[in-house]
Parts: sequence; structure tokens; C-alpha cells
Amino acid sequence: MNKNLLALAAVVLLAVVAPMVIPISIANEIIVIAIFAMATNLVIGVAGLYSFGQAMFFGAGAYLTGYSLTAGGLSLVPSILIAIAGAAALAGIVGAVIIRRSGFYFMMLTFAFNQMAFYVVLVWSGVTGGEDGMAGIKRAPVGGLDLNDRSVFYAFCAVLFVASYVILRQIKKSPLGLVLEAAKENPRRMASLGYSVHGAQLAAFMISGAFAGLAGSLYVLLYRFVPIDSISWIMSGNVVFMVVIGGMSSMVGPIMGAAVFVWLQGLFSLLWAQWALLFGLFIIFVVFTLRGGLIELFKRVARIRRAGEAHHG
Amino acid sequence: MNLVAAQIVNGLAIGMLYAVMALGLSIIKGLLNVPNFAHGALFAVGAYVCYTLSTIGAPFAVALIGAFSGAALLGFLIERFGIANLTGGSYLLQVLFLFGTALVIEQILVLIYGTTGVSLVPPAMLGGAMDLGFMFLPRYLVFCALVGAFSIVAVWLLIEKTRIGSSIRAGIERREMVQCLGIDIGTLLTLGFALGAGMAGLAGGIALPLLGANATSGNDMMAIAFVVLVLGGLGSLYGAVAAGILIGVAQSLTTLVAPSASTLLIYVIMTVVLLIGPKGLFGER
Repeated sequence: MNKNLLALAAVVLLAVVAPMVIPISIANEIIVIAIFAMATNLVIGVAGLYSFGQAMFFGAGAYLTGYSLTAGGLSLVPSILIAIAGAAALAGIVGAVIIRRSGFYFMMLTFAFNQMAFYVVLVWSGVTGGEDGMAGIKRAPVGGLDLNDRSVFYAFCAVLFVASYVILRQIKKSPLGLVLEAAKENPRRMASLGYSVHGAQLAAFMISGAFAGLAGSLYVLLYRFVPIDSISWIMSGNVVFMVVIGGMSSMVGPIMGAAVFVWLQGLFSLLWAQWALLFGLFIIFVVFTLRGGLIELFKRVARIRRAGEAHHG
Repeated sequence: MNLVAAQIVNGLAIGMLYAVMALGLSIIKGLLNVPNFAHGALFAVGAYVCYTLSTIGAPFAVALIGAFSGAALLGFLIERFGIANLTGGSYLLQVLFLFGTALVIEQILVLIYGTTGVSLVPPAMLGGAMDLGFMFLPRYLVFCALVGAFSIVAVWLLIEKTRIGSSIRAGIERREMVQCLGIDIGTLLTLGFALGAGMAGLAGGIALPLLGANATSGNDMMAIAFVVLVLGGLGSLYGAVAAGILIGVAQSLTTLVAPSASTLLIYVIMTVVLLIGPKGLFGER
């Protein structure tokens, strides 16, 4: 219980302190992408379903928000709600087709559906803007709050970020989360104990899709633009990378992973236009060095320090 | 009628490309049990090697051999120095490694060749069309189908009729037992990956005069190859071949009625097959 409160306090502190120590636009992107990473951790880390198509839901949220705000003429809150519902529905449809597949199959199918979504967006350029993306998005005021103010918009995202953390962590600890984790170890036994394994997995997939949609929606509001990259498979790979480097054992890990990703992306893009090359090399480097995620790295550093202290003492 | 016949030939040619791609994936999946997310990048490597060799004046056949060898060599390096060193860790690390490798390969291609993409006119011998009396048949499509079929038969012979092929089959079946018999499984896995990668490169080379290439054009191919693999059924090495041809022909015929829906059709077929026959068309182990 204490530990839970401590983790929550750390997450809130992070959201409050981040814009003070780093540029607020970067801090804002971090907390938005962190929602996406936590959502992905629900399927990958908790349920053990290796989804390589998460950008499909992030992108669905992004495009739905963009469309609702521009052509749809809706206000901000309904646009975000539509993004969440639409992404969850898409996850429900895709999930219903593929949830019975596991491991290798699941990975390939999520990727294939992601590519299909990308293709639809690319071809349907009259609505989506195709390769150029969707521009001209405005942040309409919400209940008297002027979201065009950077700090107000950050606070708006930060509240949703902390709420997402709390909800996703509670889901991880809920009976649903326990069924998912147990089914990851032994799906047959859980099924013979009378749990609906596929039902639980589909629910997790849809919840993950909903939060990915929320993240996509906020991302679009942040940049007032929907890039086609938001639905490309590279985005799906990136978020898997965030979850893996952050560590999958808690919802704090993906937040760290997202922070590292956004920070590195910014750094590499300053260094060289070909930043994706540096990023790819970094992924390869990390895969070989950090096998247990950042959390494992911290533990390792702590162990070394403790060993050092013991040595000196 | 003529139009239908022409589209069937077109579909056979494209389908052969899918089949070559998917058979490569299938071998890699069978031996190493990883979805090769670098398959699309290797396809692009094959296309660019073929392009470079052709522009410096090499005969097209040499360019195709180069496409296969270049991608196979890369595959060899990827397996030997990458995947082989990651077997102890989480499965996801191997997948992420392949993802990172795909990014690096694509970006290096962009660095060398730019983002605009390249195309190649097929050699004079393969250009133009044959007059069959009732229709004109582009020579290159026939060539494409034949080379695809030929390479699939070659791989089949290699796997079914040679000593190394029987080791590969045994490795897919029971990896530990193969090791117990004193066969170097590490080398076998590396060779298997290189072969699969080479097939992706070959498909890229063959596809170049047909579709052109840019650094990311392999990703669509990879997605389709994944679908083909799932449709064929993961258990059977050759189910992918039949499924690839089937998809190619179905896609080509759709272009007659609804051109923009032809790529979507692939995913519709996949969804329907998964819903009614979850094991794919040719079974799953």
C-alpha cells in the first residue's frame, strides 16, 4: 500500500517537476507518449501478448481527433472521447479476429493489421491528407480554460497522464490483471480453472487500444497536426522499444522508457537529419546491453554501489 | 476475357514474388521461431543491389544473383552477430533487434540512394510483349513467374534432397535432437537465416523492374508476406507458396473491378480465413 502511494507520488512529482527542468514542449511530449507506452505495457508486459501494431490505435485516435476537430467541427472534449471510443472499437474488431492466435502469429497479425491501417490512411487521402498528414487543428477552449497557453495545455495533459497511470495500474492489480498474468504463464490451466482467457485478453487489448487512442489524440492536440508517421509500423516498434527499455514489471517502467525515447529522439534529430539511423543503432546497442530494462540497470548500479560500499567499509 | 487472362498472368507473377518472400520467412520462422521484421529491409537491399549492378553494366542475371547474395550475406551477419547472441534473453529482444536492424538498413539505403526511389527498365530480351494471338503477354511478367518458380523449386530441392536440407528439416522438427546427433545447430541456424534473407533479396531484385523500389517499399511486401505465411499455415513450409500465388491472382483479378481495393482484399481474405479456418489453409503444427 505504502509502496503504491510512493510510486504514485513519484509519478505526480515527475509530472510537476519535468516542465521546470526541461523545455515544456518536450515534457509535454513525454507525458503524452508515456500514456501510449503504459497502454502498450498492458498488452505486452501484463498480458504477454506481443503486439506489434499498437500504432494502429494511436493513429486511429490521432486521425479521429483531427477529423472531429476540423471537418467534424466538434469541440475538444467530444473529439477526445470519440478518439478513445474509436480506438477501443478498432481494437475490439481486430482483437476479435486475432486474439486466439498467440506468440509468433499474434505479432505478425498485429503488424499486418497495422500496415493495413497505414494503407487505408495513405489511400484515403481526401479525408486523411494522405502522406502530407492532416493540418489546421486548433485547440478549442475547454470550460473557460485557454489550452493555447502552453502551461495550461501541459496541466491538462498531466492530469490525464496521472489518471491513466492510476487506472492502468489498478487494472494491472485487478482480478482482470491477475487473470492476464496467470494466463501469460499457463493459459490452459487458467482456462480449465474456468476463466475466460480470451475474453480477458480481448478486454486488455481494447483497454490498451482506448488509452493508445487517448495518447494519439493528445499528441495531435500538442502539435496541432496529424503526421502519417503516427500510424506507421515504426511507431509500433518504437513503443515496444520503450516498454522493453523501461522494464515491464510495473507501469513506471514504460514512463521511463517514453522519457528516454522522446529525449533521445530530440537529441538525435538535432545532431543529424538521418536521426532514425542513430536511433536504430541505439536500439541495437540497448538490446545487447540492457537485457532487463532500465529498472534492471538501476538495480545493477545499486548493487555495484553497495558492493563498493561494502568494500570500503 | 483477354483482360482476365492478362490479370491472371500478372497475378501469377506477383504471387510468385509473395511466395518467394513468404518461403524465406517460413524457413526463418521454422528454424529460429522469430518473425523477421528485417525482411522488408532485406527486400529493399536486394532491389538496390540489383539496381546498382545493372547500372554499372552487369547482365541482369548477375544482378539478380547479386541481389540474392547481398541480402544473404547481410542475413548471415544479422544472425551470427545478432540473434545468435540474444538467445538467452527475452524473445522480445530478438524481435527488437530485428526492428532496429531494419531501421538501420533502411536509413543507410536512404543515405546512399536518397528518398526518391529508383526504377529499372528490364533488359531488352525481357522487355516488350509476346503476341499469343488472343492477348499480349509482357515478357517480363513471364520471366518473373519463371524465376520465382525456379527459385522455389531450387529451395525445395535443397531442403528435401540434400544432406544440409535434411539437417534443416530436422532442426525445424527437433532442435535438441539434432544437436545430440552432433550437427552444429549454430551454423545451421545461420545458414537458414541467410537463405531466408537471400530469398527476400531475390524477390526485391525480381520486383525492381516491375514495381520500382525505395528504402521503405519492402514494408508493404513484408506485411503481405506475413499474411501469406499465416494463410498458408505456419506448420507447412510450402503452404506459403500456394497461398502466395493464390493471393497474387486474387489481388490481380480484383484490380479489374476495384483497383484501389486490391490491397485491402488481402486483409479481407486473411480475416475471413482466420475466422472460419483458424489454422490457415494448409494446417498448423
